[in-house]
Amino acid sequence: MNKIETLCLLCSQPLQPVISWKMLLTNHFQPTICDKCSARFEHSPTATALFQYNDAMKDYLHQYKFLQDVALAKVFRQELYARFKNEKAIIIPIPMHPLKQRERTFSHMEELLKAANIPFIQLLEKTTTETQSSKNRVERIQVAPLFRLMVGAHVEHKQYLLFDDIKTTGTTLRHASEILLHAGARNVQSFTLING
Amino acid sequence: MEKKGCLLPLALRDFHEGRIWLKEYSPFSKGDIEKAIHHKHFHIIEGIQKVPHLKCNRCHNTDPQQFTTFDCSKCQQQCIYCRHCLNMGRVGSCTQLMIWTGPSAIRTKKHPLEWAGQFTVLQQQAANELLESVKVKRSHLLHAVCGAGKTELLFPTVHYALELGLRVCIATPRTDVILELFPRFQKVFPQTTIHALYGGSPKQEGYAQLVLATTHQLYRFERAFDVMIVDEADAFPYTFDETLQRAVQKAKTENAPILFVTATPSQKLLTAYQNKSYSFIPKRYHNRPLPVPRFDALWSYEKNLKRGKIPRKLKQWTEDRLAHKEPFLLFFPKVELMKIATPLFQLLDASILAVHAEDPDRKEKVLKLRHEEVPGLLTTTILERGITIKNVQVAVIGAESTIFTSSALIQIAGRVGRNADFADGDVVFFHHGITTEMDDARTKILYYNKKGFLQ
Repeated sequence: MNKIETLCLLCSQPLQPVISWKMLLTNHFQPTICDKCSARFEHSPTATALFQYNDAMKDYLHQYKFLQDVALAKVFRQELYARFKNEKAIIIPIPMHPLKQRERTFSHMEELLKAANIPFIQLLEKTTTETQSSKNRVERIQVAPLFRLMVGAHVEHKQYLLFDDIKTTGTTLRHASEILLHAGARNVQSFTLING
Repeated sequence: MEKKGCLLPLALRDFHEGRIWLKEYSPFSKGDIEKAIHHKHFHIIEGIQKVPHLKCNRCHNTDPQQFTTFDCSKCQQQCIYCRHCLNMGRVGSCTQLMIWTGPSAIRTKKHPLEWAGQFTVLQQQAANELLESVKVKRSHLLHAVCGAGKTELLFPTVHYALELGLRVCIATPRTDVILELFPRFQKVFPQTTIHALYGGSPKQEGYAQLVLATTHQLYRFERAFDVMIVDEADAFPYTFDETLQRAVQKAKTENAPILFVTATPSQKLLTAYQNKSYSFIPKRYHNRPLPVPRFDALWSYEKNLKRGKIPRKLKQWTEDRLAHKEPFLLFFPKVELMKIATPLFQLLDASILAVHAEDPDRKEKVLKLRHEEVPGLLTTTILERGITIKNVQVAVIGAESTIFTSSALIQIAGRVGRNADFADGDVVFFHHGITTEMDDARTKILYYNKKGFLQ
């Protein structure tokens, strides 16, 4: 996963390698997409997400999750690294159902963190294989518990930060944080890649 | 296929014969696929070959940059997948590809050709040469100017091959060309099952003995075709992407001949075929010379357009077309520039439209121009070939741009005067400086006219 990209991961145009003092002396990742593709993403004004949902993001999620292009985990590694490098809380990516994960062959949230070299742990387990995106708003909010604690998981009296790809009604994050708070977490915050 | 009590749908055989397909993505039920594998009707190979070097077994990509390694949750190991053909469903080291080895599909030998057209002497000669080459399974280059009637020339050869029970493929790099060819072939071969395959094509039933496909779709075939015809063999991305050329090779059977058909063959193709099996038609079917492009300077056109002004000469040209009610095509070097220019042209006539490669309505917009519902279209090079519109007039804006190679310019000029009733028309290259490519295009067109009208 650590090879240097010579072509933009999204549009396959050649990338101009930029070597700067900043790149050499600080912990900066090599860019993996070209300036043109990167300009299509819209930064989020909120503090709890990196990007706004738009057409570029829709295409990205389609290629990453549906077409299973794991390489795209690297696209946002610099932004994610910048956001998480000074994070005191323990980071927990929202898990996938094991069956779903085997079907997709990778956990998209974990791969995003791995690509950005962010340490994380897992305490939760998804209980259903249904997707939130297949339901309407009311169905989403009134859904049965989505998660449970993993067998043998030990929740400490500490701060946790949940990390998910997209937040629409917030139900997924609410369910996960309730479980953690109930098990004794001091404080649970959440952060998403995209604000839906 | 009723063997040892196994009953499989015939459609399964008809679909999978000649194809190399991802096991998980078969349109048939899992049970049927398993049953077919059990009866050894499928040969199964791994998706990615690791020795002697990395290779995707579907698209034959070998560029190490195009592979990605990751920890796979399915096989609990490090997996490698190919990013080159990702859009067709991911091929990884733990995915399996199936190749049909069961009983062959039933091919009919009755393919009546319903075409009452007449060939010119030159066309007849080329058609005969093409047919001769197919009979002895020899590859052939057909070099014919735009509007020489290349498609019609193929009819006798395709007809001959189909009636022998051979499977024929006509491949081209451009989706637009497929969309143009499909109805024409359906009309002349009314009793033949023909499939048209391109990105986003609908599901088609039955076993097609004649397949029209974009070269990309050939990644999904293996040793399937007994005659391979490559139309517009010089178009992007075929010449640019080596895997597409390999796809043509792997989609045909070992001894199948390849027929290259083009108006602008590359030097490489010419040297390979000029002295052995080569047909050349320098004249159009209606026996009138090719319209010769004229050059007209349009200095700083880009700056003017960005300022919100159409340069005077270009405005005059467009207004003339509108006044004479002649359909027109305006070719732009870049999508961005075209998008800036579109509203400016719509001030001249509100119904002028713009098309580019990612336009979802591109099919409809071209039809609108053909049906005279819109006066003209702004376009990028996607419409440079394969389209025929009666009495169309053409202008290239920024003909000096690198995207307008001499073959692109010859193709663009070739849109004009294709109809016997409107055999002439205006081709103008508006430029900010003349390039060698522009000169080359003009010289070649003049040369064809000289060749064609020598006798």
